[in-house]
Amino acid sequence: MDGHIYGYNLPISEKTKSVPWEEKVRIIEEVKSDFRFKEYIFGCLNCGVCTASCPSNRFFDYSPREIVQRFLEEDVEVLYDMMHEYIWACSQCFTCWIRCPFVNNPGGLVAIMREVAVRNAFEATKDLLKPYGRVLLKVMTTGNQLSADMLQPDFFPDWGPKMADNMENLRAKRMAIPFDVGKSVKTAWEVSLETAIEMYTIWRETGIFEMLEKLDPNLYNVIMDIVEENEERYEEMYEEE
Amino acid sequence: MAHGHHKEGSILMYPEKPPFPLKEYHAHYDHIFEMMEELEAKGEILIHRITEEHQPVHVYTRTGRIKVIPTNKLWHHKSCGQCGNIPGYPASVFWFMNKFGLDYLNEPHQTSCTAWNYHGSGTSNPVALAAVWLRNMHQAWKTGYYPLIHCGTSFGSYKETREQLIMNKELRDAVKPILKKLGRLTEDGRIVIPQEVVHYSEWVHAMRYKIKELYEKEGKAKGIDVSNVRVAIHNACHTYKMIADDYPYDPEVFNGQRPAASTAVMQALGAQVVDYSTWYDCCGFGFRHILTEREFTRSFAIQRKLKVIYEEVKADVIITHDTGCTTTFEKNQWIGKAHGMFYPVAVMSDVMFAALACGAHPFKVVQLYWNCSAYEPLLEKMGITNWRELKKEWEDTVKYIAELEKAGKYDELMEFFKTYDLYEPYSRTSTGMPKASATAAMPLFKS
Repeated sequence: MDGHIYGYNLPISEKTKSVPWEEKVRIIEEVKSDFRFKEYIFGCLNCGVCTASCPSNRFFDYSPREIVQRFLEEDVEVLYDMMHEYIWACSQCFTCWIRCPFVNNPGGLVAIMREVAVRNAFEATKDLLKPYGRVLLKVMTTGNQLSADMLQPDFFPDWGPKMADNMENLRAKRMAIPFDVGKSVKTAWEVSLETAIEMYTIWRETGIFEMLEKLDPNLYNVIMDIVEENEERYEEMYEEE
Repeated sequence: MAHGHHKEGSILMYPEKPPFPLKEYHAHYDHIFEMMEELEAKGEILIHRITEEHQPVHVYTRTGRIKVIPTNKLWHHKSCGQCGNIPGYPASVFWFMNKFGLDYLNEPHQTSCTAWNYHGSGTSNPVALAAVWLRNMHQAWKTGYYPLIHCGTSFGSYKETREQLIMNKELRDAVKPILKKLGRLTEDGRIVIPQEVVHYSEWVHAMRYKIKELYEKEGKAKGIDVSNVRVAIHNACHTYKMIADDYPYDPEVFNGQRPAASTAVMQALGAQVVDYSTWYDCCGFGFRHILTEREFTRSFAIQRKLKVIYEEVKADVIITHDTGCTTTFEKNQWIGKAHGMFYPVAVMSDVMFAALACGAHPFKVVQLYWNCSAYEPLLEKMGITNWRELKKEWEDTVKYIAELEKAGKYDELMEFFKTYDLYEPYSRTSTGMPKASATAAMPLFKS
């Protein structure tokens, strides 16, 4: 089947066509078995209020109404196809959620679909999230997602010439803030080592490191090196205590 | 539970009469407060309650529920985006806390919520998000301070995670062994959940009349006047669209039909709140998009918000109350010149604008030098006409610090900081552990 008779205008990709039907069913069942699924979808009038107010719909071939409709129709082929790239257009603003007369949460459904796509190592996740590696490295190792030193002007030429001025004497600027906030340039704040160690335990216990390994093995190795180094530092500190 | 009926001592409260016209909602979010009390009675959870020492202020939510906002003895759960990219944002919060003589704890035993990562990359799951949240909340409870969430996404994610935890035994059962391993349950094995998840903008909302007093006493004495300033409000999606029934609404703000925080404090200060047709739209941040698909972010920000605000209402400033929106609007103006779509307008959060109105230093406290968009016309209009001298003072300070550090003159640097007007020189920490960072040892300055 190429595309869909209404709504989903994209032709079904070769990637999707080449996957055995049973595998596609397994993936969609994994999405539907998430405990949140039943709290995110109730019914649909096809009113389109969600899509009309969706920011991503204005610039991408993306419709939250389509997400809800395909689940209600159990359209495995289209849903599986959406999991390659379609779902990554969503801005996660949840305008659809607050507007829906049925209190459906299409943005929430997308969050589950993305999570399942990463966990099952969809090729599209590897391509789409490649430039996102810096954030993953920072958050997985330090507990902060953003720091002042990540805002190099080279990465943000569209933000204008002021970015270069901002980065000049960055450490001195941060030292001059008269509160203990924003002082560290490598992290948003200095997350204490024992807190980071607790976070690593959370990542291990909840399978997040495994997700990372599937997403980007090289990044995973770099992250694990830092994690293990910090764990050794902590153990040494603990022994000294 | 109907209006005017509540059990003595219950955390679920309503006023005698609905405070503004209410719609019938399908979602029964408020019920989770009764469920929390039931779970506490069964010994599954412990509710971290807001008490008199927190100097609570009552506000209304969209359902007319009374939400209790603690205003004192607060544990600052900081925002990575604010600390990293908008340093004047948390600095303005701390400036107000000190001005009002409030007790608070600003400590390093906290991580980000990690929800930005989840909404951007999908590389996490509800159990991990819940464990991260509950670890942070347990830390706040252990210190005796009540958590105040700086980031809008943390706030939205935490509200949702709390609802999921209360409604789903399977999630509680999954997260409990992890918390036990971390030593993050109570001594009798309960999960600690705060009575209210509270965003800093709710604190500003609750404190708006005190902020007004400070403005009249100290801001106006400096010649500052905001009565002619046209402010356009942008509410953050993750504060009021995520778990929409748990954010302040007020009869004085569009008769309770729009979110009240930020608008109400602008009204209290006497600024001119101007309405515009796309108030409902998001900013275009998109979590992943701002970093890796910026053509969407800037197109949306320019076409749906900046252009509209510029052409429809000629606002002097866009007032925000979250990290991503502030960055998106503020950093995506310059590029518009390339397409003849340059709509200059100052951008800052409610607390930064309020701090300026009350006389805070525009650069030392509010850190406006970091802005890529023009803020100078706004300062002029507010009556902060000496901003050039204040900017030079700031730049000279930065230059002096940089030179001393470059020359390795750490003793002189320490001497300088002894005389520098530090509002809060060092964080207090709540454990006896030596301070060590998760990054390689990187002291602020050697001693």
